[in-house]
Amino acid sequence: MRLEKCWFCSSTVYPGHGIQFVRNDAKIFRFCRSKCHKNFKMKRNPRKVKWTKAYRRLHGKDMTHDSTFEFERKRNRPERYDRNLAENTLKAIKKIDKIRSDRASDHIKNRLKTGKVQRQKEARKQLEQGIHLVKAPHALAQDSSLCLPKIKVNVSQAQTEENQPMEE
Amino acid sequence: MIQPQTHLNVADNSRARELMCIRVIGASNRRYAHIGDVIVAVIKEAVPNTPLERSEVITAVIISTRKELKRDNGMIIRYDDNAAVVIDQEGNPKGTQIFGAIARELRQLNFTKIVSLAPEVL
Repeated sequence: MRLEKCWFCSSTVYPGHGIQFVRNDAKIFRFCRSKCHKNFKMKRNPRKVKWTKAYRRLHGKDMTHDSTFEFERKRNRPERYDRNLAENTLKAIKKIDKIRSDRASDHIKNRLKTGKVQRQKEARKQLEQGIHLVKAPHALAQDSSLCLPKIKVNVSQAQTEENQPMEE
Repeated sequence: MIQPQTHLNVADNSRARELMCIRVIGASNRRYAHIGDVIVAVIKEAVPNTPLERSEVITAVIISTRKELKRDNGMIIRYDDNAAVVIDQEGNPKGTQIFGAIARELRQLNFTKIVSLAPEVL
């Protein structure tokens, strides 16, 4: 029993799922479900289809280079059964999986950080400018905790002939 | 699902190029042939100046079909075209080379010579 990867979306194909297509040059394409199979028949390029792993890796949305990927190579030589080896491998798989998924989610978090900062800045600006949509000016004036603190800035204006108020 | 009038490619070097199925061997009213079934076919296209000629009636075994082959372990295999290998009455292939990947089912059906000649067995 072997867990294969879907050719289109790169998810794992478990036994009993999906279809294998054998092309005339004996290249085998494995698909996890009919969605991927139908997209393949439509001759779509997985690198251009947004929800596939190929697209996400190509466009930097998901982690591409990591040492945890080295553990999951395709091995063609069957290992002689050794209970200790099997036990250790199972433990290692769990741990490596956890490390890999943590690193992947960190990668995505870092990628989305700049957007979050941007959104907070925009929200602050909107609050400053648009508080009158939320509260009436009279209420704002009475309850000072609602609006942002007014900062008094001293502006120096040159006292020229035009600026002086007219003397009655 | 090969039935009479179906055109099949030839997957060996037995000098025939294209066959047309005439009859599915197995039962009197048998409708379709799948991978591993023997058919009687007529040669529609052959390489010129060879022992096999056009409009010669021969037997062949089906190697690959566009209709999916379902296995008991849940594996489903589909090929790109319908192809057959020309055989004689005992089940030995007439050609000496087989092209393309062969399904494992042929070994259970005693086409061992074909399986041994195949470049890849799925």
